[in-house]
Amino acid sequence: MIVSKKEIPSFLDKLISDYQVFAPVQKGSYTLFKQICSGTDAVLDGGITKLPVKEIFFPQSEKLFSYNVTNEGAKLEAPVDDRKKVVFGVRPCDARSLTLLDNVFNNDKYQDPYYLTRRNNTILVGIGCNSPASTCFCTSVNGGPFDTKGLDLLLVDTGDAYVVEPVSDKGKELAEKAGFAAASDADKAAAAKVKEEAVVSCRVNTDGLKAKLDVNFYDPIWDRIHEKCLGCGACTYLCPTCHCFDIVDDAVDCNGCRVRNWDSCAFPLFTLHGSGHNPRSTNKERYRNRIMHKFKYFVDNFNEIACVGCGRCIKNCPVNMDIRVVLEDIRGSEARLDS
Amino acid sequence: MKNPYLPLPMKLVKNFTETEDKLIHTFTLQYLSEEDEKSFSYMPGQFAEVCVFGKGEAPFGIASSPTEPGFLKFSVAKVGVVSTALHLMEEGTIVGVRGPLGNYYPVEEFKGKNVVIIGGGFAFTTLRSLATYMLHPDRRGDYGDITVIYGARNPGLLLYKEELAAWEKSPDINLITTIDRAVDGWTGRVGFIPAVTEEVAPSSDNAYAIICGPPVMIKFTMPVLEKLGFPPERIIMSLENRMKCGIGMCGRCNVGGKYVCKDGPVFTRAQLNELPNEY
Amino acid sequence: MRMQKLAAQIKDAAKKLLEEKKVDLVVGFAEGSLPLRGTPLFARTPEEADKLTWNRGCENNLANYLRKREGKVAVVAKGCDVRSIVALVKENQINRDNLYIIGVPCSGMIDRKKVNQLVGGKDVLEIEDNGDTVVIKGKDFSETARVADLLHNSCQDCRYGNPVVYDELIGELLPEKGEDDFAEIKEFEAKTAAERRAYLAEEFSKCIRCYACRNACPMCYCEECFVDCSTPQWIGKSAADIQDNILFQAVRVFHSAGRCADCGACERACPMGINLRLLTRKLVKDVKELFNAEAGVNMEDKAALATFTADDPEPFLVKE
Ligand SMILES: Cc1cc2nc3c(=O)[nH]c(=O)nc-3n(C[C@H](O)[C@H](O)[C@H](O)COP(=O)(O)OP(=O)(O)OC[C@H]3O[C@@H](n4cnc5c(N)ncnc54)[C@H](O)[C@@H]3O)c2cc1C
Ligand code: SF4
Ligand code: SF4
Ligand code: SF4
Ligand code: SF4
Ligand code: FES
Repeated sequence: MIVSKKEIPSFLDKLISDYQVFAPVQKGSYTLFKQICSGTDAVLDGGITKLPVKEIFFPQSEKLFSYNVTNEGAKLEAPVDDRKKVVFGVRPCDARSLTLLDNVFNNDKYQDPYYLTRRNNTILVGIGCNSPASTCFCTSVNGGPFDTKGLDLLLVDTGDAYVVEPVSDKGKELAEKAGFAAASDADKAAAAKVKEEAVVSCRVNTDGLKAKLDVNFYDPIWDRIHEKCLGCGACTYLCPTCHCFDIVDDAVDCNGCRVRNWDSCAFPLFTLHGSGHNPRSTNKERYRNRIMHKFKYFVDNFNEIACVGCGRCIKNCPVNMDIRVVLEDIRGSEARLDS
Repeated sequence: MKNPYLPLPMKLVKNFTETEDKLIHTFTLQYLSEEDEKSFSYMPGQFAEVCVFGKGEAPFGIASSPTEPGFLKFSVAKVGVVSTALHLMEEGTIVGVRGPLGNYYPVEEFKGKNVVIIGGGFAFTTLRSLATYMLHPDRRGDYGDITVIYGARNPGLLLYKEELAAWEKSPDINLITTIDRAVDGWTGRVGFIPAVTEEVAPSSDNAYAIICGPPVMIKFTMPVLEKLGFPPERIIMSLENRMKCGIGMCGRCNVGGKYVCKDGPVFTRAQLNELPNEY
Repeated sequence: MRMQKLAAQIKDAAKKLLEEKKVDLVVGFAEGSLPLRGTPLFARTPEEADKLTWNRGCENNLANYLRKREGKVAVVAKGCDVRSIVALVKENQINRDNLYIIGVPCSGMIDRKKVNQLVGGKDVLEIEDNGDTVVIKGKDFSETARVADLLHNSCQDCRYGNPVVYDELIGELLPEKGEDDFAEIKEFEAKTAAERRAYLAEEFSKCIRCYACRNACPMCYCEECFVDCSTPQWIGKSAADIQDNILFQAVRVFHSAGRCADCGACERACPMGINLRLLTRKLVKDVKELFNAEAGVNMEDKAALATFTADDPEPFLVKE
């Protein structure tokens, strides 16, 4: 199937009557996923959004339930958002990140209804990356600029139009309902060419990384590797696969809400015990946890690396702590960064 | 889909000052309905997130035993927001309880074995649950000798005086209490837990040791247990990392790849030996 | 080329200090992983010092790494770093006797956000520094721009590019600049309260409470920051509350009033591009007007808000 770029706004407008539609919109110098009221608000050529798509499913701040408590009992209301959604213009790395987060919010024992209900009610329409940025390394972590994992539909930008490739049944249905024209052989060939030419030039060699991390928890390398890190939350909040959160009460007396907020393993209070003891008392332990979590613990638990190579942490770290360099340092050789 | 974030409202029926220094209170919470009680089926060693509405929630080990129907008990040290609010709470107030969470002491494995319980300070909470569970007349026959070594700085800091008095008299359990320094009227032992454990020298034959207490106590008791011949697979500990969600999602309680809330808090020494020392 | 020459001199100075064991550690910049990006480097051996460099991307304030350090430390410090160091020495956070300052006169660092804006967000692969101009290169483009247009706002406003204190100077002192006129602050002050409120609300709706601003600020070193305090909880922790986001920043800048050297580290660290210097500079301007004081411009002045004189102006006590 194929849809011309000119038709996208009206296609989105039609979707808006049936779904909550989210798409990247311009906010100053960057784009963010926002619910749109008009198809023309979507900015589809702005590269990856500043904040990852996770914020739609796992918002930075979310009310878990409200309560009204008296001595007779407690009235709890937990509004689980089950509105039908379409997220339009997701990049493949972000879509893949959701499949990783699914492991966490749907683990061997518990299900998170807030996240999972949104996931189940959302159709993800992706746009492949014709010109991956120099900070992208998706192909080094099992992804790719046209990877379809997690997506329902994939759009391939062929210049004036998008070639539409259904991935799931949900996506196929959406595309059929939209009545997109059939793609000609020439269109398909154009899409294939685009895919072929989209080269992720940056490779991060992860061979042997896991084996190193399996044994190097006490290695002196950790004494130095974190040294410039400021211990802020920028990399974790911007990371599509980071999922840590805090739960707080926002209340006046006994009427209020329980809220969850993004939290970060970079913060000292994250792990401070009630007794005052802190198992990760310095930035060294905290930075090590960030790396270990993504490249060892997550692999041990779910057989996947918890990094999709989106490059957000690289571009946004205030001190240029580059995860590619850190990983190379850990592997014990020089980084190979093509730029 | 069950919402694991929703607490069960329960009534605080007793706010009891447990220790002489008043820093530990034991709270008895009553279910509001029979249904609620049925929905909360737990085992010794599990914990729950207790919430004071308007303040927040915090994890506490369940001190009551499933063999004690109708209520839950928690013994709480006053350290911060939630614990202080609990201490100040009037009887009759509604609190929330979310759980039961985590795994529990392997009571099935204990069957036919001798069990040595070693506790220090106020970390005795889930050990009370465990001992009470095993001492229940329906279950006592499942286990061999039950030895409890329990110590505190002074007699006023020992928890659960009623239970201790009863155990003292009971032929079903061998209770050894100890305090750090001698005081008038004290009839138990005097000395630190590691030394007392060495004196008592419980046999490791066909036995499990369960140990909970402050890190120093654990550190110095561990070699004693090893000397007595307890293999790491039969030394059982309960960890207390900082927690929020209790369901393996919020990310803070991990020790290596294990989440203490979901995969613990009960671990064998052997399991912990495989993990980094981040606890 | 000026930058390469400076880089070589810095390297030599650092190596010499380490070889002669005059210091245990040199904090400076290495070549970063992004175009024209310096990244903090901690060199403990002459070999490690070989990685030291100097370019228009050495934007971090290294004073942030110097508080409460053990042993003898040398730092490669530009003008703003030195001002922060001076302020921290006065607050007993840095022992001047154990710090060796390798001062580097600085004419400003390049703001990658401005570079990105200039090229319309296209992926920049290389920035060639030609002195007064740079050539910005990408996959299918190459654009020349004036350095002066791409400098960080803080660098454009900075009057202290020459280190005010140093043990060794690299390169030559630069010509002095004129007075800072705080034009944008005056413009903001002239707005109505409603306009100001609306502007701040818009800016701080972007805040994600990552605290990069606080952690990048050399003067934000409280053991327990008021935002983290739980008993009592002074401020809500949800980023969804814009008023709390503003309150966080307002209290932060009040805490650094008279101590803030206007280095801009906070604004540069902010991943969301929030105009933080609007607030920090308001305080810098007020402190200058009310106390005729600037933070860290010499070793002698007492910190403006840590001293009292009988003729202190106290306009906040006067009912207008
Ligand atoms: C599985 C498990 C079982 C447990 N069982 C028990 C039990 O049976 N009994 C018991 O008493 N405890 C138990 N604990 C410990 C208990 O969970 C903590 O003491 C409790 O969370 C404290 O909560 P709080 O809200 O009162 O304290 P918080 O307000 O969270 O503060 C706790 C401590 O952290 C420090 N702190 C908090 N916030 C800050 C900050 N911003 N800056 C600096 N310091 C800070 C405070 O100084 C305080 O000492 C258990 C913990 C776990 C994980
Ligand atoms: S790596 Fe960078 S972004 Fe992440 S915590 Fe450290 S300083 Fe902040
Ligand atoms: S670690 Fe960095 S590159 Fe990897 S997914 Fe997270 S933000 Fe993207
Ligand atoms: S508040 Fe900002 S400008 Fe001022 S000293 Fe701190 S980081 Fe520098
Ligand atoms: S760095 Fe920016 S986004 Fe982060 S807390 Fe500070 S103002 Fe907010
Ligand atoms: S308490 Fe949240 S993961 Fe364990």
